[in-house]
Amino acid sequence: MEKVKLIIDDLALEVDEGTSVLAAALQNDIYIPHLCYHPALEGRGACRLCIVEIDGSLATACRVEVEPGMVVRTKSPEIDQAIRPVVELLIANHHITCRGCPSSGKCQLQKLMAQLRIDRRRVRRLRVPDEELPLDTSPPCFDYDPNKCVLCGICVQTCEDLHGTSSLYFLNRGNETRIAFYGDESRCASCMECIKRCPVGVLMPKQTRSTD
Amino acid sequence: MSDSQHEIIVCQGTGCVSGGAEQLYSLLQKELAELNLSDSVQVKGTGCHGFCQRGPLVVVEPEGLFYSKVGPDDIPDIARSFLPDGRPVDRLFYYDSTIGRTLPCYHDIPFYYKQQRLVLRNCGHINPESIDDYIESGGYQAIHKAVFEMTPEQIIDEVKQSGLRGLGGAGFSAGQKWEACYVEEADQKYVICNADEGDPGAFQDRSVLEGDPHSVLEGMIIAAWAVGASQGYVYVRAEYPLAVRRLKIAITQARERGFLGKGILGSGFDFDIEIFQGAGAFVCGESTALVLSIEGKRGLPKLSPRPRTTQYGLWGKPTVLNNVKTLANIPLIINHGSSWFASRGTEHSKGTAIFSLTGNVVNSGLVEVPMGTRLRDIIFDIGGGIPNGRAFKAVQTGGPSGGCLPAELLNLPVDFDSLTEAGSMMGSGGMVVMDQDTCMVDVARYFLDFTRRESCGQCIPCRVGTKQMFDILDHICRGQGRPEDIDLLEELGKSIAETSLCALGQSAPNPVLTTIRYFRDEYEAHIKEGYCPAGVCFFYQ
Repeated sequence: MEKVKLIIDDLALEVDEGTSVLAAALQNDIYIPHLCYHPALEGRGACRLCIVEIDGSLATACRVEVEPGMVVRTKSPEIDQAIRPVVELLIANHHITCRGCPSSGKCQLQKLMAQLRIDRRRVRRLRVPDEELPLDTSPPCFDYDPNKCVLCGICVQTCEDLHGTSSLYFLNRGNETRIAFYGDESRCASCMECIKRCPVGVLMPKQTRSTD
Repeated sequence: MSDSQHEIIVCQGTGCVSGGAEQLYSLLQKELAELNLSDSVQVKGTGCHGFCQRGPLVVVEPEGLFYSKVGPDDIPDIARSFLPDGRPVDRLFYYDSTIGRTLPCYHDIPFYYKQQRLVLRNCGHINPESIDDYIESGGYQAIHKAVFEMTPEQIIDEVKQSGLRGLGGAGFSAGQKWEACYVEEADQKYVICNADEGDPGAFQDRSVLEGDPHSVLEGMIIAAWAVGASQGYVYVRAEYPLAVRRLKIAITQARERGFLGKGILGSGFDFDIEIFQGAGAFVCGESTALVLSIEGKRGLPKLSPRPRTTQYGLWGKPTVLNNVKTLANIPLIINHGSSWFASRGTEHSKGTAIFSLTGNVVNSGLVEVPMGTRLRDIIFDIGGGIPNGRAFKAVQTGGPSGGCLPAELLNLPVDFDSLTEAGSMMGSGGMVVMDQDTCMVDVARYFLDFTRRESCGQCIPCRVGTKQMFDILDHICRGQGRPEDIDLLEELGKSIAETSLCALGQSAPNPVLTTIRYFRDEYEAHIKEGYCPAGVCFFYQ
C-alpha cells in the first residue's frame, strides 16, 4: 500500500493511504478527543469532538483522509473553545458521578475528561437532567442505560457492519433519542460485539441470562 | 354597477378557508342564481391573496374592488351590487387607519401597491385548480421556449446570469447547482422540489403551492430538461393537505396536456413528477435528510465533507433540489430573460424576497418585495406598523434559527448578506414582528424549545446543547437565572454554532445570541433585578 507523509502537531508521520486523519494520529499515539470512532468502522463524525485544524481550517478528523503534505494541528485555543463546551455538556447530561459505574476505569468519557483536564466547576454551571430514566431490560441480549448513553452509534454501526442489517437503531429524536432493539431475539446473533465496543458501558450483559 | 361581464374572486387560501370562504363561495353562487345574474357574473376561487389578516377576502374584477372580512351575511349585498341599480358594499372596504381613509380598490391599498409580486404573480388571480387559467396567464410558455428553442447549456447559463439564489435559506446560486448536476454522467437523475416548510409562522411555500401549483411544476420541468432528469418529486409536508390536493390536481392536468410524461410536447423528453409527503420532522427540510426520507430511511443530515446532492443524491443519483419559490421563479427567467430578472434586487441578491409577515403587525400576510428593501418599509409601509399604539421592539427573520433584530436595525436592507451580517438570516422567509410587550428572553426560550424538539439527535452539540440552552432560558424566565448564565449562554452558543453537524444546529443559537447582543439589559433584569421588564415572565418563589 502507498504511504502518505503528513505533519501532525509538528511531527512528521508516514501512514497508509486512505487512513483518516484521526486514525493516523491515534496510530502514532497522538490523542484527539473522540467518542463515536471505532477503528473497525467508518468515521461517523457524530460526536463532533475530533475537530482539528487541517491546513488552517477546522474539520472533523475522522471524516478526512490523509493527503501528502497535509499539516494538522490537534490543539489550539480555537479548537478548545469549540469542543470543551461540548464535552462539558455531555458530562452534565451524563449523570455527573462515576461512582458505582461498571465501566469506570475503562470509560472513554473519563479518558476524554482527563485528557482535556475538564474542570468540574465549569460543568456545575450547567443544568443537569432532573429525571432518572429506568434501565431498559427489554432487549434480549443486553440491558441498556439511557441515562449514560452518549449516542455515539457504534453499537448500531457494529451490528450493521457484522450482520448486514442492524437489529439496533435509534428511537425518537432530539434529546429523547435512545438506542432500541428492533424485533425479537432471533434478530440477534449474540456476538456481543456491541457490548464490547460501547465506549461508555451503557450496554451491559444481561444480569441473569437464561441457562437453556 | 353596470351589467357587463364581472368576476367575483373568492380567496380559497388556507387562511380564508378557515374563516369560512368555502361557504361564501357556494352562497354567492346560489345568491347570484336567484337574482338571475349567473350569466353576467362569474364566481372564481383562487389561491391566497396574501392579505390574510383581513380575510375572508372577496375581490370584484375588472374594477378591483376589495372586500375584506366578508361574512355569510354580507353575501346577499355583494350579489345585489351587480343588479343594474346596485351599489358597491362600502362597509366591506378596507379602512386604512394610518391615512384615515377608506380604500375601495386593492391596487390603492399600500399593502399591495408597495409590493412587487413575481413569484406570487398568479396567486389570488387565477384558479389554482384550472390549468387553462394558468395557460391563459402565460403559463407553460417557458417550457415551449426551453425545450424547442434552448439547449440545456443555454438554460443553465440564463439561470446563472439571472443571479437567482436558492430561496429555501442557503442562498446558493441556482444556476451553479443545476450546472453541477448537468455535468454529472448518470443513467438517471432527479429533480426534487423542497416544500417541507417547517418554520413556525412561515406559509409562503404553502401559499405558492395552493395558489399557483403549475408555476412550480413548470419550474421543475425546465430544471429537469436542463439537467437531464427524468423523474421528479415534490417533498411536501403532510400538514399541508390543501397544497397536496391542488398539487395532485395540477399534476394530473399537466399529464393530460402533455406537459408531463413521455415525450413532453412531442419532443423526445420524458419527465414525470410524484408527490412525497413528509412525516412531520423539521430536519427533513435539510437537503440530505430530505433525500434519506424519500428513500424511506431516518431523516438524518449527512456528515460533511460529503459528496454534494448534485453528485450523489436520491438513490445515489445526481439530484437537483430546489425550494418552491426558487422553482416558481424559473418560468419568469426563461420568458423574460436573465437581465430582466437581475434588474431587481441588490448586487449579490437578485429578484424578490417573500416573507410571511406575522406577529404584532397591523397587516399580517404574505409579502413579496425586491431584495434590498428595508425592514422598515416592509413592517411599517406594507405591514402598517404596530397595532394598538404600541411601540416596535424587535423583528425576527428566518424562522426558528433566525435572529431578533432591534429598532436600530430597521433601516437594514433585506438580502442574504445583510441579514447574516446582523446575526440573523434570510432562511425560508418567516418575519415575526414583536412589540414592546414582548419579553425577549421568553422569545429566545420559545425558539430554543422548537429547535431542541426538532433536533435529529445525531450530533452531541445540537442534541444536548439546544436542550441545555433551553433549560437555562427556562430557568431565567422562571426567576431562577444565575449571574453567570449570560456568559454561559454565549459560550455555549458559539460552540454549538461551530461544532454542530448541520445547519439546524449551526444556526439554532441565533435567537439566543442575537437577543443577548441587542437586548442584554432584559436578561440582566431577569437575573439580577428579579423582574421581567415586559411583564411576561411570571416568577415563582
